[in-house]
Amino acid sequence: MLKLGGVTPRLYSQVLRLAASCNIHTTLSTFSELKAEENEEFRTLELRSKKFVRQPARVMKSHNVVPPRYKRQKVDQDWGNVWPAARTFHPASVPLPVRQGYPASGQVTPDKWGNAELMKIPNFLHLTPPVIKRQCEALKKFCTPWPSGIETAAEQEKYFPVMVSKSTYLHSSPTLRDQKARIVTLRVSLKSLDLDDHGRDKLLRLVKNRHDPTTDCLTIVADRCPLSQQNYDYCFYLLTVLYNESMKTEPWEHEKEVADRERYIWEGSPSQAALQAIIDSNEDSTPEEVIEEYKKVVIDLHNEGEDEPTLSRYRDSVMKLVGLA
Amino acid sequence: SWRACSSLRLGHSLFSNGLLRGLHTTQAAHKAQAGRYRVTRNRSKPLTYEMANQPCQIAHRKSWNSWNTTSLYEGLREPETVVDDIFIRKFMTGTWHNLFVSEVIIKRQHNMIRIAGIVQRKIAARKMYFLIGYCEELLSYWLKCPVKLELQTVPDKKDVVYKYI
Repeated sequence: MLKLGGVTPRLYSQVLRLAASCNIHTTLSTFSELKAEENEEFRTLELRSKKFVRQPARVMKSHNVVPPRYKRQKVDQDWGNVWPAARTFHPASVPLPVRQGYPASGQVTPDKWGNAELMKIPNFLHLTPPVIKRQCEALKKFCTPWPSGIETAAEQEKYFPVMVSKSTYLHSSPTLRDQKARIVTLRVSLKSLDLDDHGRDKLLRLVKNRHDPTTDCLTIVADRCPLSQQNYDYCFYLLTVLYNESMKTEPWEHEKEVADRERYIWEGSPSQAALQAIIDSNEDSTPEEVIEEYKKVVIDLHNEGEDEPTLSRYRDSVMKLVGLA
Repeated sequence: SWRACSSLRLGHSLFSNGLLRGLHTTQAAHKAQAGRYRVTRNRSKPLTYEMANQPCQIAHRKSWNSWNTTSLYEGLREPETVVDDIFIRKFMTGTWHNLFVSEVIIKRQHNMIRIAGIVQRKIAARKMYFLIGYCEELLSYWLKCPVKLELQTVPDKKDVVYKYI
């Protein structure tokens, strides 16, 4: 048995290897120590649980951040190029020291860095006056002057008597459709339609409440078709039909009776017959103007209704007729 | 003002199995507690401006997080917009893990959706660019309209703290 004392493990292992290669049988008392130190085959068995060893805190890598953009902006830069379209407020790009918010007690108004309130509100940084001016200049070439000859409202009414209006709607949603956009309104003044009395009367009976007596305007609203173009065509079709029908006289229209008349007509009325009887029974010839005045006053009374002025005028006229005034 | 809430405790008839059951005979007093944070003993809870201002301060000291035309007269698509907003908020806070330090702000303009918010700089800029592109692309497919992200970054979440309670 080869016994060695006070020799390093390295020498031990060298000796072992040498011994192994030379086929020399060797045993060493410190073999287990050697193995434990060099960790050759078996792990060490820990029967007691290890004490908790605190790991060092995970260090978050700080990333290199580019300095804010306003530091590189010139004082005379073109702001329209920095903020070309509507954008949420970005504090590093806007060189202004804006503040927003209600200050906490003992604090100042919160500044623009990390300020959600400034981000929430709509800003108009994309519409500064120089930018608006530039956009107007660019749009000018698409504009034409107002045509000559239709400056005043009267001329516009004369040359363009029909007014068609429709609305389009804008929503902030993915869909473009709005059902109300199909409604088309047509307005025309009856003065520009060149109708005689009968035609006007017939048209008014046909359209009923679509005519406004104060403005003498006919308003046709079409919404029965799904498209506004179809409703527009329908409006004009209705106007054409109304006009043509009111110009025509149907054979059954002569059956119109006194009760159907839309206004009081003097000729052939009982009042005229009564007046004629009074004139005939009068010895002196009644002056023409008294007769005319009475006629006018009776027509007014029937057409405009009985109120204080018409009644007083009727009374005066009757006094004059009878000769008491 | 507190209303004294009196409860009637019927004795033996309702006392069974060792449990006592009572009745409220006045109105139950419910205090408003929405959006309000409890004060701590040592002033350690940080609040952002949004959290510090209660819901009654909206339109006074606070603004809205969601801007669209649906609540105007004859505005269309209001319920669908609300549901879309809920989805966008969940998606954004989930995709940007623990990175949002403010509420997600959603602005709708014409057919575009602009999403804004404040994000911490915990991840690299390249990852942020990827997330921005990913969110914009997928959200535009889901919501069927162009989506733009307009985020602001902040080095630490302490930068958005308004006060401690």
